[in-house]
Amino acid sequence: MSARPALELTALTAGYRDVPIIHDISLALAPGSITTLIGGNGAGKSTLLRAIYGTNRWFSGQIVYRGEDIHALEPSERLRRGIAFVPQGRCNFPSMSVAENLKLGCYTLAARLHRPRIDRVLSLFPMLRTKWSSAAGNLSGGEQQVLEIAMVLVTEPSLLLLDEPSLGLSPKMQAEVFAAVRDIAAHGVTALVVEQNVHGALLVSDTAVVMELGRKFMEGPAASVRDDPRIREAYLGGNIKETIEA
Amino acid sequence: MTIDLAYVLELVLNGLMLGLLYALIAVGLALIFGVLQIVNFAHGELMMLGSFTMALLLPLFGLSYWPSLAMAVIVTALVGAAFYQFFLSRVEQTEFERSILITLGLSMVLLYGAQYIFSATPRMVDTSWGFEGIEIGAIRMTWTRITGGAVALVAFAALYVLLKWTQLGRAMRAVAQNREAALMVGLKPRVVSRNAVTLAAGLCGLAGGALAPIQLVQPGMGQAVIFKAFALVIIAGLGNIPGAIATSLALGMLESWIGGFYDMVWQEGSVFVIMIVAIILRPEGLFQARGMRVG
Ligand SMILES: Nc1ncnc2c1ncn2[C@@H]1O[C@H](COP(=O)(O)OP(=O)(O)OP(=O)(O)O)[C@@H](O)[C@H]1O
Ligand SMILES: [Mg+2]
Repeated sequence: MSARPALELTALTAGYRDVPIIHDISLALAPGSITTLIGGNGAGKSTLLRAIYGTNRWFSGQIVYRGEDIHALEPSERLRRGIAFVPQGRCNFPSMSVAENLKLGCYTLAARLHRPRIDRVLSLFPMLRTKWSSAAGNLSGGEQQVLEIAMVLVTEPSLLLLDEPSLGLSPKMQAEVFAAVRDIAAHGVTALVVEQNVHGALLVSDTAVVMELGRKFMEGPAASVRDDPRIREAYLGGNIKETIEA
Repeated sequence: MTIDLAYVLELVLNGLMLGLLYALIAVGLALIFGVLQIVNFAHGELMMLGSFTMALLLPLFGLSYWPSLAMAVIVTALVGAAFYQFFLSRVEQTEFERSILITLGLSMVLLYGAQYIFSATPRMVDTSWGFEGIEIGAIRMTWTRITGGAVALVAFAALYVLLKWTQLGRAMRAVAQNREAALMVGLKPRVVSRNAVTLAAGLCGLAGGALAPIQLVQPGMGQAVIFKAFALVIIAGLGNIPGAIATSLALGMLESWIGGFYDMVWQEGSVFVIMIVAIILRPEGLFQARGMRVG
């Protein structure tokens, strides 16, 4: 943990238009680590990820990425610097083919890179090759989620923000998405993942951050957060089925 | 009553030409609606601007058609870009009423500005081709009409290639389909919107320029066309470009036929009758707005 953090937030306050939603968030992500962000509905998890990528309103505080405060940069600029964000819910171009969606993923890249980068994500997710000319809107929910992750992976980000990637997926598909995230992190990518499948997510992550009512409530190694009685009570339930024992 | 075959063919050809030029207008409307979610009430006036640019430049270029047409496209496109930069870029996605007022405002300024400067008197526009044309048997078409139709066809082919195969055009479809996903892949919706408005305005300039030697040029000409274009775009389903082209062709044909056999009144009214019927029979044509696609 001696290396410079991949991302460092200092007293970040952000929200929408004139309403601040998240307050005074300070956070440091170790390079190549996986951090799970958990919290109740409306706790401000999505708002935090949007603030890091720049698609909502910044109020105050610092967002330092690779030694630079990026809070004034447009999302496209943050993407060019290596931050990628896959929002919650379906986020692709539904009436375009998988091929076109991936080409749009390459939008910020030089033309000569399109082919090799797309080939790389296709080897990572071979399913996409079989759906190459299908409209994205015709894929299953899990396939669309994989497509969306692939759409940003073509930029080879160094910081990956994922908002509920396992939402609405079958347990099998969830396990695949978790495995993919772990695989990506193994290549040195830092990941910050919002999860409602707290149990499954904590099993594959290094660190956990808990948010409540727009503030950071707890932070620590995934294992210790998982064993915290308050967290067990609030998110894990007494009798949760331990199906996704990775 | 015997129907003269040559006459019918001439009506069909004229209808096709007219429909193609309408389609240029309608496609631009659909494009702007798709990308910006704004209904551009100044669209007809942009076309009028193209016609006047053509009318004023032809004498300067020794009546030669192509340089005048090119300038009509460029001038109108630049006006569109400036209009986006100074006004439309300030309108938020959710401010539908403001967008209506702003585009209506521009429409009025252009319409009455043109009346003030050029008077409302219709003017004939002459090109170096005059009334020359081709005759095949009993069918006669002037060069200006043939060229107008051909120019529109080339423009559609180019538009298709742009939207389908270039990142520039793909970006427009992307913003129209999902703004959040557009941000995710690093698009700048403002830049894409500016491109879309500039392109749509350029198409208006092309249609206006090509129509100038075919129809009388007058400040009110945009108004007559724009309501038809709205009707077309609504019949096709907002934001649906292939639909807009198809309905425009059908309308041009229909108008030409009705004009050839019935009173003028029917010609002008028919499109609106069809629009109402279409809305009643196929409301999804109208309400497709949410799941809109451009291209
Ligand atoms: N676009 C928006 N404009 C204004 N307020 C918003 C907007 N999006 C979310 N909010 C508000 O911000 C608060 C936090 O929402 P956020 O989506 O960040 O929560 P979350 O932790 O991601 O919840 P969930 O688990 O339901 O996804 C909520 O009170 C919500 O009403
Ligand atoms: Mg959320």
